[in-house]
Amino acid sequence: MSRNEKRILILAGVFALTFGIVPNVSAMHIMEGYLPGGFCIAWGVLCIPFLAAGFLSIKKTLNEHRNLITLLAMSGAFVFVISSLKIPSVTGSCSHMTGTGLGAILFGPSAVSILGLIVLLFQAILLAHGGLTTIGANTFSMAIAGPFVSYGIYILCKKLNVNKKAAVFLAAALGDLFTYCVTAGQMALAHHADTTVMGALGKFLAVFAPTQVPLAIIEGIITAVIVMGLESYAKPELRALGFLKEAK
Amino acid sequence: MITIDKLCYHSRLRYENAGEKFAFAVITLLICVMSRSAAVAGIVLAVTGVLTVWKGGIPFFRYLRFLTVPLTFLFLSTLAIMFNISHTPLDLFAVSLGSWYLTASTHSFFYALQLILTALSAVSCLYFLAFTTPMPDILEVLRKLHCPRLLIELMLLIYRFIFVLLDIASAISVSQDCRLGNRDYKTALKSFGMLGSVLMIRAVSRSNRLYDAMEARGYDGTIRVLSEDRPPKKKVIAAIALFEIFLFIFALWRRFFS
Repeated sequence: MSRNEKRILILAGVFALTFGIVPNVSAMHIMEGYLPGGFCIAWGVLCIPFLAAGFLSIKKTLNEHRNLITLLAMSGAFVFVISSLKIPSVTGSCSHMTGTGLGAILFGPSAVSILGLIVLLFQAILLAHGGLTTIGANTFSMAIAGPFVSYGIYILCKKLNVNKKAAVFLAAALGDLFTYCVTAGQMALAHHADTTVMGALGKFLAVFAPTQVPLAIIEGIITAVIVMGLESYAKPELRALGFLKEAK
Repeated sequence: MITIDKLCYHSRLRYENAGEKFAFAVITLLICVMSRSAAVAGIVLAVTGVLTVWKGGIPFFRYLRFLTVPLTFLFLSTLAIMFNISHTPLDLFAVSLGSWYLTASTHSFFYALQLILTALSAVSCLYFLAFTTPMPDILEVLRKLHCPRLLIELMLLIYRFIFVLLDIASAISVSQDCRLGNRDYKTALKSFGMLGSVLMIRAVSRSNRLYDAMEARGYDGTIRVLSEDRPPKKKVIAAIALFEIFLFIFALWRRFFS
């Protein structure tokens, strides 16, 4: 083997290693054990008011319409399943969507906060995405911050009479991007060894951008297709979902 | 369908008392995260790994493969922690890019190394729980810890529905594959979106029928399931307590005296 051939082989090996170990680009769950104890507790505490509000709203809805409990549970399972399916991605690695933007548009942000918490717990235990100690931080970024932004944008677009397809796309994609920014912020606050918090934030944003920005766009497109499909085939079902949204 | 769920029903530790396993996993996890020392992380990784693979009988290579699931996240975020781009070179190494340096310091190198170890050992604690305790048992433990009833009930229903919906989803995606639904990127996107909307429609109609069925069988707001009672063994509790106390003292010692 000549030196050149060897060099090519080594390069190919390095290439395979760096790209081969990227099997799973999920939405940004902070992994188990990545945040120091204090931050885990702080993010958890920050979530409590939102979760309490969500819990009370669900409870009130269920007291009035007992039969909605199966619908609510189905919605939770739907978010889990949608986020566990592989979506077609450009790079060939398998990626997953968050599904929380879709959830916020369909079920309203208050129901999604509680459903999101349960889904995150299941994702941690059944799929090993995220973790138990970081569940507070993950809930804040994926089940509270993202859905609220999605829902806000969706309502705003509705008021401004934007085309529905575009509204759904914007809501889902921007919600996803916001989740990614919040997660990067959470990590920068916890880990800034050599630089300032802002410097660390920039680094985290830059490192995750290549996977997260395309993912947000894909998620937006898919969410728009899903909502359009529902609009054309499932008017009565959507009315049933409206019940979940009314009680806030 | 969900590999972890399938494996944990086959685990040899499945019939141990769920409270014991839950307590062991969670307390070890907390000590591991709070102490943030590489030595503690090493011990935890070894102990939980041995328990899951050797005692629990989870295939070794499967276990290793699962440990690599969070690797992408770990890899990327460690890059972000270790490397800096600045005007001044730091002490570990520096690659010059024009007037800037791609550089890292020894401090941040060891910080990142310790973080990787801690994260991996925390994940191994989570895996111990996930690979030995089926979800209904975990819910039973949560019920005993006085988690709100409504939440437990929602979780029970969601756990059941996940499998119903996964079944529908896999059938739909097989038939989409048969009909060239993933021919190119554009059709794949469209197929996935259609799968999502049909899944939602099916879920809603299914949930209505399910509620009717539950009502017909006398549903009054709570689902009562029989839980098999496996009394905790004194020997196991003593062993867990001993291990946790040892780990705690060791973590304190590493933190303050070395």
